[in-house]
Amino acid sequence: MNWDAFLFGASAALTLVGALFAVGLKNIFHNILGFALALVGVAGLFLTLGSDFLAIVLLLVYVGALGIAMVYAVMLSQPLDAPRVPRSRPKVFGAALLAAVVAMALWLVLRGAHFPAKTGSLEVTPEWTGTRLLSDYVLAFELISILLVIAMMGAVMVARKDRSGGDRARPKATP
Amino acid sequence: MNWLHWYLLVALLLFCIGLYGLVQRRSLIGMLIALELMLAAVSLNVVAITSLSGSSSSVGQVVALILIGVAAAEGAIALSLFVAIQREVQSIDVEDLSELKG
Repeated sequence: MNWDAFLFGASAALTLVGALFAVGLKNIFHNILGFALALVGVAGLFLTLGSDFLAIVLLLVYVGALGIAMVYAVMLSQPLDAPRVPRSRPKVFGAALLAAVVAMALWLVLRGAHFPAKTGSLEVTPEWTGTRLLSDYVLAFELISILLVIAMMGAVMVARKDRSGGDRARPKATP
Repeated sequence: MNWLHWYLLVALLLFCIGLYGLVQRRSLIGMLIALELMLAAVSLNVVAITSLSGSSSSVGQVVALILIGVAAAEGAIALSLFVAIQREVQSIDVEDLSELKG
């Protein structure tokens, strides 16, 4: 067993185990930890594909920023000692059935798919990606910057306490 | 099966686990986690196909970067909406958000 296969297997196992934790466990904090684990696995898969820069960006954005934001949202919203009513059994079964059917369909497509063989090898460096982003794909780059700015301002506006200036948004059920 | 098929298989499983979680979870934050898993599966697909098959690799890198940016923006908006919903309804359970009787 060579080194590449070992790295791929370890990253894939990390990804799938993390994903199962992220959707299967009951505690929402454990879900977030599983999500971070799954994204570390995906970053490892990116490393085995030779795109180091993408792996680092993925770790920074998903595991760093988004994970922390999710923890904050949990602490601001969901009381951990609140009683958790489990999903009814037919709904869980239906969800599993849907996922299995979609997986089977995608697997049939994937098994019959034929990809052209790799022709030339291209070294993907951060410098090269940056040059592409600011020359050929500069419109997409600028649009994504505008989208991020709008999303940040919108997030602040939506989560602010007094959206309408008055005290309409106060908790209704005061004991 | 060559390498590319193994990568696509992992992405397929990740996507379907995310789909299962999105349908099955009650908590809005749990649904967001499942959605982000599906997005990560898609970007894994794009990067694997463009770096292991005959197409040019630049498109995959740029598309994956843009996907990560969109996911970050979407996560920020969604989490702030959850905080606002919690303030209005005192719950982020999807079963409680049925005022429109949908």
